[in-house]
Amino acid sequence: MSSEVIGIWIGAILTLGIFSFLYKDNPFYKFSEALFVGISAGYWFVVTFWQYFVPKFWDNLSLAYSELLTKGRVDYHWIYLVGGFFGVLMLLRLVPKIGWLSRWSLAFIVGTTAGLQFTRYLESNGILQVKGTIMPLDLTYPKPFIAHTGFIITDILGTIWCNLLNILYTYSHWVLVVGTFCGLIYFFFSKEHKGVFGGAARVGVWFLMITFGALFGYTVMSRMSLLIGRMDYLFGIWLGLY
Amino acid sequence: MNETTNQEKKTFWEKLLSIDRRIIFLFIAVAISVPLFFKTSLDMPVSPVVQEVYNAIEKLEAGSKVLVSFDYDPGSMPELQPMAESFFRHCFRNNLKVIIMGLWPQGPLQANIALDQVFKDEDIKAKNLQYGIDYVNLGFTAGNEVVIDRMGHDFRESYPADSRGTPLSEIPLMRGVRNYDNIDLILNLSAGYPGTMEWVQYAVDVFHVKLAAGNTAVQAPSMYPYIQTGQLAGVLGGMKGGAEYEIALKRPAKAVSYMFSQAIAHGVICLFIIIGNIAFFSLRKKKTS
Amino acid sequence: MKEKLVFGNKVLLIFFLLLLFLFLGINITFAQEAGEAKASVDSLAQAPAPPTNVVARDAPNDNGHALVVTWTLSPDDGAGKNNVVSYEILRSDNPDTGFVVKGVVALGISQYEDKGAKEKGDKNYLPSHKDFYYRVRARADGIFSESVVSAPAYAYGQWFHFGKSPIFIGSVIFTFFVVLFINMAKKGKELYVRPIAGIDAVDEAIGRATEMGRPILYIVGLGSAADLGTIASLTILNRVAKKVAEYQTPILVPCADPIVMTVAQESVKAGYYDAGRPDAYKEDSVWYITSMQFAYVSAVNGLMLRERTATNIYMGVFYAESLLLAETGNVAGSIQISGTDQVAQIPFFVAATDYTLIGEELYAASAYLGKEPLLLGAIKAQDWGKILIMISLVLGVLAASFHFDFFVKLFQVKM
Repeated sequence: MSSEVIGIWIGAILTLGIFSFLYKDNPFYKFSEALFVGISAGYWFVVTFWQYFVPKFWDNLSLAYSELLTKGRVDYHWIYLVGGFFGVLMLLRLVPKIGWLSRWSLAFIVGTTAGLQFTRYLESNGILQVKGTIMPLDLTYPKPFIAHTGFIITDILGTIWCNLLNILYTYSHWVLVVGTFCGLIYFFFSKEHKGVFGGAARVGVWFLMITFGALFGYTVMSRMSLLIGRMDYLFGIWLGLY
Repeated sequence: MNETTNQEKKTFWEKLLSIDRRIIFLFIAVAISVPLFFKTSLDMPVSPVVQEVYNAIEKLEAGSKVLVSFDYDPGSMPELQPMAESFFRHCFRNNLKVIIMGLWPQGPLQANIALDQVFKDEDIKAKNLQYGIDYVNLGFTAGNEVVIDRMGHDFRESYPADSRGTPLSEIPLMRGVRNYDNIDLILNLSAGYPGTMEWVQYAVDVFHVKLAAGNTAVQAPSMYPYIQTGQLAGVLGGMKGGAEYEIALKRPAKAVSYMFSQAIAHGVICLFIIIGNIAFFSLRKKKTS
Repeated sequence: MKEKLVFGNKVLLIFFLLLLFLFLGINITFAQEAGEAKASVDSLAQAPAPPTNVVARDAPNDNGHALVVTWTLSPDDGAGKNNVVSYEILRSDNPDTGFVVKGVVALGISQYEDKGAKEKGDKNYLPSHKDFYYRVRARADGIFSESVVSAPAYAYGQWFHFGKSPIFIGSVIFTFFVVLFINMAKKGKELYVRPIAGIDAVDEAIGRATEMGRPILYIVGLGSAADLGTIASLTILNRVAKKVAEYQTPILVPCADPIVMTVAQESVKAGYYDAGRPDAYKEDSVWYITSMQFAYVSAVNGLMLRERTATNIYMGVFYAESLLLAETGNVAGSIQISGTDQVAQIPFFVAATDYTLIGEELYAASAYLGKEPLLLGAIKAQDWGKILIMISLVLGVLAASFHFDFFVKLFQVKM
């Protein structure tokens, strides 16, 4: 029995173990869950050590040290000591008396991330999106469309549906601008949602809910895709039924 | 007589709303599993956003360099792995040079799995593609969006060597590649952070390089604002996007074969939503009356 | 005799002068012809007319290693007998010799950016503050003609990228608002934040848990300590911890990030201290499980069902696990309050939990509950930013509808 076959069986058994939770909580699920948690913790420890610590800290410092020994010059890679220092400060969290030192590392992380992302978000998600929303509003009336399918019912349904889509498409700029504007009003926290302002916020909520519905549908598709992958594994690869 | 009928109706809707969820799980399991046995391919049109991804690759001349970033893990394999295989098929078919990298640790490993699958194709096998000349795998490097930013100046700042430890200066494919100025197109396969949004923010908006993406269906709707502003050339959204891309490529594969299950499952879910809403509103109407 | 000689000398002088002018004239003409119409050997008669007016200048808004070359198109570009197919741009650091082709552009294009590398060792190195000369060659079917040499130009870097002015102006305006409103909040000025549905539900849910004698589960999400959603969640956690300390209800805070766990421990501890119950704080109530997404969810789901938590509060950054958590909470019969800034997960929380804080409401809730000047000032600054965006939208749309495109250009960011 090859290691691949053993691996497939282990995968299938653990998959069924996790699926058993859908019936009710049971020892089989608890075992699978505990195994998953333990292996994932171990896996991430190994990945963090070999993919983060070693290449970014150890290798760079080794390079700087060898430059100092062989060529007698101070290489810029010594700067990674600063990162190492902040990492040690983070670990001091485990020593209650001097645990407050870890706040410096946190402050560094939060501050750097904020600085790095501030202008990027302002440009990519702010200014360019505003530019993309500024578009001329069309007031021309769309040409009516009449469906000819040969059957009266489908003719009527097709005509209604296609004309609705046509109107939506013709006035898509209106939809975009009104939706963006009213959405911004909904997330305005300095004024209570009353009167005209409240009405616009309500329109914003409708746009948000339609968006969430679309997101929901897309995400359901994503979940179904993952389940299809698992079922294909069980029936196709494990049991070999097709 | 009427009272009995009313009680039955009431009981039926109430029963429906309080149905054990495990029965629904069973319905979904059957809806997904049974179609897998039929291997039916559904005919579907290629949507404009997917066509744009296809066109972006098709427009490139032979020998153009494509950077493919694998930003997902095995948890998103069913959706993104078929896209990865299709990207490779398209690039190799058009004699493009492929540079693979990853911002997630498991990403480059997924790339190797996809390559193994693609190299089984007779037409790709016949090309006798060489590592280091036709494609290269730079591997994973930590740093998230900082990696994307640094690569805009010099690839060597983030990737001094490839995944096999060979310095980039010794790899023929990488000799003419310094930064994004030498890359004709970036393809990003993303399941979360870091992913397509970071590539748009740090590569496209700063260095003005062209980007097309393949995303999980969860992320895909968030990418449409970037398509509308032109920051993103096109996107493959979820398994359906992958299936449409396989159809555009005229090479139906895994994604297309999965779509029958997907369609049946969606139909069952829609039916349950309709029934559930009818039950909910009927009960509410009865309560108010 | 002298007069004859003088007369003779004058004639000779005039003759030689004429010869000289003729010689010079021929050379000048030759040079001009050589400069303007340096053509291939094959057939001078079929060479396209050369491009003219070649001007080289520093590329704006860069680091000083690029030059921009512009020229007037050849008259044979797209017309005439000898159609131009491409233009070649040649560069040298000497006006007379050493010209090398640096780029090729198609017909109809009259501009080229000569981008060089900044590293000295690079074969494409273009040093700054060094004069370079350019010629442009019009090529047509194997034959070409060249322009005269351009005036010298050198590349130099700019301190400010004017193409990105909209980002700079936006940053300044937003920073101004943030500083202004934080200062106002610090001085004690009342900054109004509208009531947010779901906040009152937190107190109600804690009360319910106390009555039932079952613990409260608080999930700070899967984000890192640097994520905004996590920071907002930790502020709300502090408030919840204060309440549970007062009601003496157990709280469980399993974390997916070790750094977040340390901050969450401090947040809960501070809440207990604020309630005057430091002795009741249990360090074990905040612990780390695993960073792996679905492993974390499996553990939390098991915890929900085993501990039968009365209230589940999900606040922070969530991904695919959101619905898994919320559905399991429903099975356990818990009352659930959620809030996330992850747009893709909001639909699941809206569908599966009792109260949901949508997107930015999470940040506003943390400001509303925490009442910290920094948070309140930030919320106000965001609101003013939104006002500016709304005004820009209205004005921009009106301008675009009446075909005034200048407004859109205000938001254009160039490379």
